[in-house]
Order: sequence, then C-alpha cells, then structure tokens
Amino acid sequence: MTDAFHIDVPHTDGALAVIALSGEFDSAAAPAVRARALELIAAGHADLVTDLSGVTFCDSSGLGALVGIWRCAKDADGSLTLAAIPDRLSRLLDVTGMDTFLPAYPSAEAALAARQSNRTTV
Amino acid sequence: MAAVRRYDILDTPPDGAYDRVAALAARLFEVPVATVTIVDEDRIWFKAAHGLEGVSEIGRDPGLCASAVLRDDTTVIPDTLLDPVACSNPLVAGPMGVRFYAAAPIITADGHRLGTVNVLDTRPREISEADASTLTDLAAVVRDQLELRLSALHVIRAEQERRQVEQEKRQAEEEARQRAERDKAAIAAFASTLQRTLVPPALPAVPGLELACHYKTASPQEVGGDFYDVFPVGGGRWAFFLGDVCGKGAEAASVTSLTRYTLRAAALVEADPTAALKALNTALLLDAAVGTRFCTAVFGLLDPARDGGFTVTLATGGHPPAYHLSPAEGGGVRVEAARAKGGMLVGAFAEAAFASLTLHLAPGQGLLLYTDGLTEARTADGHMLADTGLTDFLAQRGAPVSAGALIDDTVALLDTLPDTERDDVALLALSVPTHDAVPVGITTTAHSAAAPTAPADASVGQEIRRP
Repeated sequence: MTDAFHIDVPHTDGALAVIALSGEFDSAAAPAVRARALELIAAGHADLVTDLSGVTFCDSSGLGALVGIWRCAKDADGSLTLAAIPDRLSRLLDVTGMDTFLPAYPSAEAALAARQSNRTTV
Repeated sequence: MAAVRRYDILDTPPDGAYDRVAALAARLFEVPVATVTIVDEDRIWFKAAHGLEGVSEIGRDPGLCASAVLRDDTTVIPDTLLDPVACSNPLVAGPMGVRFYAAAPIITADGHRLGTVNVLDTRPREISEADASTLTDLAAVVRDQLELRLSALHVIRAEQERRQVEQEKRQAEEEARQRAERDKAAIAAFASTLQRTLVPPALPAVPGLELACHYKTASPQEVGGDFYDVFPVGGGRWAFFLGDVCGKGAEAASVTSLTRYTLRAAALVEADPTAALKALNTALLLDAAVGTRFCTAVFGLLDPARDGGFTVTLATGGHPPAYHLSPAEGGGVRVEAARAKGGMLVGAFAEAAFASLTLHLAPGQGLLLYTDGLTEARTADGHMLADTGLTDFLAQRGAPVSAGALIDDTVALLDTLPDTERDDVALLALSVPTHDAVPVGITTTAHSAAAPTAPADASVGQEIRRP
C-alpha cells in the first residue's frame, strides 16, 4: 500500500528552488527530505517552495522535517513556502500553529507567481 | 641438600629399580644387607634396603653412610671395629653389629651428593678394587635412575605448571566473566534508573478525581517521545500535561526528559498553563543539544470547584484537541473538542504564542488527552483513525464517564488496529465521579513493543484501583 517516496527538484532559479515531494511523507521519508533541502540551501537556494501535491500522507515526522527546513532556510536568510497542501496536513499545520509561519499557496505555480509579483513590486 | 630436594626422592614409595640395585649388590658381594640411601639433613633414608626389614631411616651418625657420601671414591671399611669413627656408629655398636661396610657415593652430573649405595656384613671382610668399582658402577646406575626420574619429574612438573597456569587462566577468565556480568548488571541498573526519569511516573491519587493513563512505546527500551504527568502545585490545585516530542526512541527520550522537568519546574513557579508552555518553548530553543527538536503539548491546571468538579484551564502548544466528554440528554455522550485557538508547536519558533481556554469538568464528565499515536493509527482498511474516527468512538460510549473505563476501551480499540506498534502512544483520562457512585482511583496500563502485556518496571506496570 506504500508508494515509493520521491523527491524531485523540477526548478531552480537563483536563490529559488522548487522541491516536489510525492508519496508518504512519514518518519521513513523525513530524513531524506530534510537532507535534500539542506543541500539546496547550502548550494545557495535558500528560498524553497515545497510542492506537496503528490503527498498522500504526512505525519508528525513530516511536519518535523518541515520545521527543520524552515529553521535552516531562515538561518540562511531564506524562506519556506508550501504549495498544494493536502487536507490532512493542512489541519496539522493549523493545530500546530505552523500556518502562521509558513506561507501557503494552492499550487507551486501560484507560489512562484506570488513570489514573482512580490519581486516586481519590491 | 637442595639437590636432594630437587630430585624429590625422599620418602617416596619403594621403587623396583632401586630395590633391584640393592638386591644385585647383595648378590654380587654375597653380603646379607645392601641398601640405597639418600642422605637428608638430619637422617639417612633408605630408598631401597635388601636384608633390612622394617628399617626406613637411621640417624646421620658419622662413620658409615654419612661419611661415605662426602667422599669422591668408594669407601671400604673391612672391619668396623678397627675403624676409629665407624666403631661407635649405632649400626656397628648396636644390635645389628655391622663389621664390614663398603659404600659408593651417588653424585649427580653437576656434582651434588645425594646418597650412597652400601653393602654391609656382620663379618669382617676384604673386597678387591674391581669390587669397589662395581659398587661405584651401581651408584652410577642409581644416579642415572635418579636423573631419569628427575627429567620425568620435570616433565610432570612442567605439565602440572601448565595445568596450573591453565587453571589460573580459566579462573581469571571466569572472574573476568563474572566481573563483566556484574558490570552489565550495574549498567542495566543505571540504565533502568535513567529510564525511570524518562518514562512517565505512576499517577498520584487526586481527591475527587479519577485518573487513568496508558503508555506504550515503539521502542523496546520503553523510552519514547510521548510524555505525561500529573502533580500537585499547592493550594489544593493540580497540574497535568501530556505531549509528544517529534521523533521516537532514545533521541526523542532525551527531549522528553527535558520537557517533563521544565514543565514541572515552570508550574511550581507560576501555575499558569500558558506561561508553562512559554517556559518550555524557551528552554527547548535554548538547549543547543536539542537544536531543532520540538514538541506538542497540552498543559492543564485543575482547580477544585464547589460542585465537586474542577475548573480546568487548558493551554495548547500545537497539540491535537483534548476531548471533553459529558453525559448527553437522553443518553450517550457529548464529545467536545477542547483546544484553544492559536497554540503553536513548542520549541520550534522563538515567536511562538500559546493560548488557553477554561472549561468546567462537572461530576459525571471526563477529559481525554492523547498523542497522535492514537489518531494516526491506521484502521484495517489502511486509513488513519483520525479525529473523526476517535470522536465517533467516544460518542458511542455510555454515561457517566469513568476515566478507567475510557482508557480500557480506548486501549481495546487500539488493540483491534493493525500495526499500532509503529508509534508511541500516550493516553491520559480524567473524570469526576458522580456523587452517588464514587469509585475514585487510578488505572495505569503500560506497554512497550517488546513486552506488550508484562512490563518489567513495576512503577509503570502497575494497575491500581483505589476504592
């Protein structure tokens, strides 16, 4: 019943990187996600957009990875934006109050567009 | 004398080889008595004696053996009565009446004198030089026998020493093994003591309240990321908390320990649930070793109310809602989620805010706190139990609410689910008994993945119900 978990980086642009996750974002997947994100941050892509559209399940370990990534991005003067949050994770973000810290968009495209418009207005 | 000792010949049982030498000497010299003696410090011991029954040793009186052993060549005394020294020897002057004595010293290859080969007669007589040489040869035979025996002794001693060394080695190994076992036991005792600081304690008896809990860890060491506690904060008030450190096993347990002690300490300084969570947030962010570790927690304060119930102030730090259960009109149970809006994850954000709400826990009502090990447990069809599954389950229960029965039934529900050993689970239930039926008490069930029904630690494994 468990789909293989995948991490892709379909897009990078300067400080920006999109990291797309698919499968079950649980304790087995969390360390790899964290490691990949930290690699991107270390490589100068500190503004991360995490595309969660392919995530079928996310538990507290997945949440923990997101917090860790958020902290590291912030330390590197970057940011973490979430895109296409599944329902269940959305409730988890609400319960933990993380939604106040993590900007969220319905899709990766929307997140990129919002970022683009931010950049043009700034 | 050292040589005599080295050959280890004194007081040994009769030995055929020396007896044959003595018998041969007696026959060759046609004398009634022939002996092989070993000269000791204070005696002359007969290794072999032909014609001397029942004598095993004599004194070192001068004149005969004692003198002969000191000479390099063969001693011949044709008539002892004519010899100025031998004449007073007890063998001569005594009942034996020895008149003739001849002896050859037994001298080892390295020059040590061990004893003599002797021929004795009660009549005076002469022997030829050839006979004297024969006696010397016989002494040499004895010497060779002794040398052979010595080398055999060496082999035997070496073997004995080897055995002793082996035995000592075995003994040392056994001691080392025993020491290792003692060390292992000491380490286990130490670990178990440490573990007691990590696993939740036994619940206290709170007047007017029924408490029950359940604690199961995913790790067989019975340490995990879930935690709970109930303790007095003075003035008849009690504090309780339940939470979940992100992660599992020993790593999570270290944060669990820090969390528990911080919350307890904070509650003693200021019994305000929101302040306690704020203190924990600060502590977790300060702890460098903890780093990015964080937790979710519910912290509550119990204030006895006039109706026999309690006023509950409940602060939330990113934790799923507690459920307030109250008897519904017309039977059944009303289930209300109790979660203050805006309570954030503890230990992740310096700016985190926490919020609390107040509810009244009246007699007949209960409160259930749990970690996500319960709501994230999968049902047989692969879906998570989730909030809806839990609230449906709770709503189907009867009133009044009893903490003990609530925990028992929730554990029974968990037991029907497959694969629940994946995560830690902690449950804490509080209920206020109705005025008529008052079985106030504590129920604790604890299970680790390794020992689901028989936990080793009595402080966790107890099941207490106090009337």
